[in-house]
Amino acid sequence: MKTEFSRFILGLTAAFALPWLLLIVLPYYQLSTIEPELYSEEDEVDAAASYPPAWTGASSDGESVYASSGCIYCHTQMVRPTYAGVDMWRKGWGGNEEDGLARETRPQDYSGDSYAMLGYMRIGQDLANVGTRHTDRAWYHLKLYNARTQVVDSNMPSYKNLYRKRLIDGQVSDNALKLEGRFAVEEGYEVIPTEKAEALVDYLLSRKMDAKIPGQGVEKEVAAASTDK
Amino acid sequence: MSETMQEASVQDVQERSVIDRSVRYPVLFFFTAAAGWLFLATLLGFASSLKLAAPELWDACPWLGYGRLFPAHMDALIYGWGMQAGFGVMIWLMARLCRVEVKNATTLIVAGNVWNVAVLVGVLSVWGGYGTSMPWIYFPAFLWPALFLSYSVISGTLLMMFKRRRGGEAYVSQKYIFGAALWFPWIYATANLILHHTGGSAVMDAGVNAWFMNNLIYFWFIPVGLSSAYYIIPKIVGRPIYSYQLAQVGFWALAVLAGWTGFNRFLGGPFPSWMPAIGGAASILILIPVAAVAVNFLGTMAGRTSLMHYSPSLRFTVFGGIMFNLYGVFIALSSYFDVSRYLQFSYATVGFDILIIYGFFSMVIFGAIYFIVPRITECEWPSGKLIRFHFWYTSYGIITIIVFMIAAGLAQGGAINDWSGDFMDSVRRGNGYVVALAIAWALISMANLAFYYQLLLMFFGWGRKTEGPTLIHKKPGEAMSAEAAAGFAKEETA
Repeated sequence: MKTEFSRFILGLTAAFALPWLLLIVLPYYQLSTIEPELYSEEDEVDAAASYPPAWTGASSDGESVYASSGCIYCHTQMVRPTYAGVDMWRKGWGGNEEDGLARETRPQDYSGDSYAMLGYMRIGQDLANVGTRHTDRAWYHLKLYNARTQVVDSNMPSYKNLYRKRLIDGQVSDNALKLEGRFAVEEGYEVIPTEKAEALVDYLLSRKMDAKIPGQGVEKEVAAASTDK
Repeated sequence: MSETMQEASVQDVQERSVIDRSVRYPVLFFFTAAAGWLFLATLLGFASSLKLAAPELWDACPWLGYGRLFPAHMDALIYGWGMQAGFGVMIWLMARLCRVEVKNATTLIVAGNVWNVAVLVGVLSVWGGYGTSMPWIYFPAFLWPALFLSYSVISGTLLMMFKRRRGGEAYVSQKYIFGAALWFPWIYATANLILHHTGGSAVMDAGVNAWFMNNLIYFWFIPVGLSSAYYIIPKIVGRPIYSYQLAQVGFWALAVLAGWTGFNRFLGGPFPSWMPAIGGAASILILIPVAAVAVNFLGTMAGRTSLMHYSPSLRFTVFGGIMFNLYGVFIALSSYFDVSRYLQFSYATVGFDILIIYGFFSMVIFGAIYFIVPRITECEWPSGKLIRFHFWYTSYGIITIIVFMIAAGLAQGGAINDWSGDFMDSVRRGNGYVVALAIAWALISMANLAFYYQLLLMFFGWGRKTEGPTLIHKKPGEAMSAEAAAGFAKEETA
């Protein structure tokens, strides 16, 4: 009876510990210690660059606004290879197709984040490469303020709390949102982004996961497939 | 041997009532607190799905955005209701099956209070914009030690009860509870340490998060739910489990396979490809324990299914059992690329999560609560009609959610996979189904209000004091079956 009890505990522990060690602990250590790779001449990339690229402009503030607003529930940041979905064939999802850079996402692409926002559902667009698709800050601000300003039947929630309505003081501010039609505010008022909104847009602009992979050249076929359409 | 319906001697009956009295306060505490959370959780579910259908609703108020309502809803559902109601069932079942009294009722209630305060702070933080967005680990980092400590006290009590148990071999139910008590702290600590306190790979953070979600399902919700079902079904139909051997196979197969799942939430994700692959393979193999459970339950109930007309406990448990099998099949199917390319990241994701947490776990727990509470309060449920209302509104709601979310998933997935089409097509096609989601949560909220009301009456000791249990239907001509449905209740109160 005594040995049976200890065998039972041993069984439970072993059943759990094996995948825990092999699927979580070891791969976590392995993936956390990937060294950046240097490009060779064949890659035709600026010699000083390395993969994954050093992150610029991305701020952890932006990531925390992304997190607390719950963007992750409707937006993925993960481009699947063709065997698992046609993500890469959607225009712009895999990155810059014109330069033949479109590809699926890899572990190193998230090295600048503290948590990879891979996603839960994909009700809205994938955002892995939204920074290459849209470079205009005003576009992001309008989208966040009210997505219906751009797409009439979008079901994206409005994040008006990231914006401030205020009396125009003299001239209209440079960063005021250009709101028209039913979205326009009263005469004499303007809507401007808060710091949080700016941080979030910085984060979104940093979503460019199409850096060239050292030694792999450009994936011509994929590039051809996505530009053909 | 398994849960046979032995002739209860006078001594047995006395012993049981002593044990029931010793667990009375902690178990009632967990049930009523959990039911309150449940009502809040389903209201939040309603509000969040309404937001999906009407995105400009309440948009000046950040607290009422989808991105905050949804995680608050899942938190209240998982930590407020699910786990807490599970604690109650685990404590009562363990005491009953080990035939030992609970000596530290006060400590358990203190632990329960810590748990509730932590969950409250957590839900308010998520709601107020301090959530982490890490699915099911939404609470801010400073909260997890409190939840961990509180859980450790509860699980330590359960493990000690098992060690002190009287009588020979362990029942399958006890093994499941023991497993859940032992595994969860390990899972929870691993996930929280990696996600909050180490600066390693961002991608592995997301992977560990997915592993945590699946482990919470397979190493906690499913074992606790099954432990209850393995007790309730034989008890009410009045015969032992069909095959103890098969139950053993099911237990160990699940234990060995479950830990490998998780990464299959990201099929084709940025991981070494063996990781999602092994998750998918394990999810398909989990059909073995699922089938073992199905055969065992069907075999146990063979010829006595009509008891479901009378016994609320059996009816809820059987509904949960069916949902458990459906979940196994759906997850196995979604592990194939041909299916996952449509359903992965679609509305079906949330549909499947609700299927296992609500359709299976919560329904089985309702069954257990309808069985346990009269025994510890020594009065009967006030109204069979309200139990019927609870059952039908909940089951309509759950079935609606599952059917519509899978349909929405297919519609969305179909549109996304038509790569030359406009992306908005997938949004438009999914939109209509969301209305059904809101309606379903409204129905479920109403059902839970009825449940909460009845439970509060029982809590204050205002239940029926008449003899014989409250049944869903009771016709004069079927008194015999009705008595059988009461199962053990009769011989215990005798």
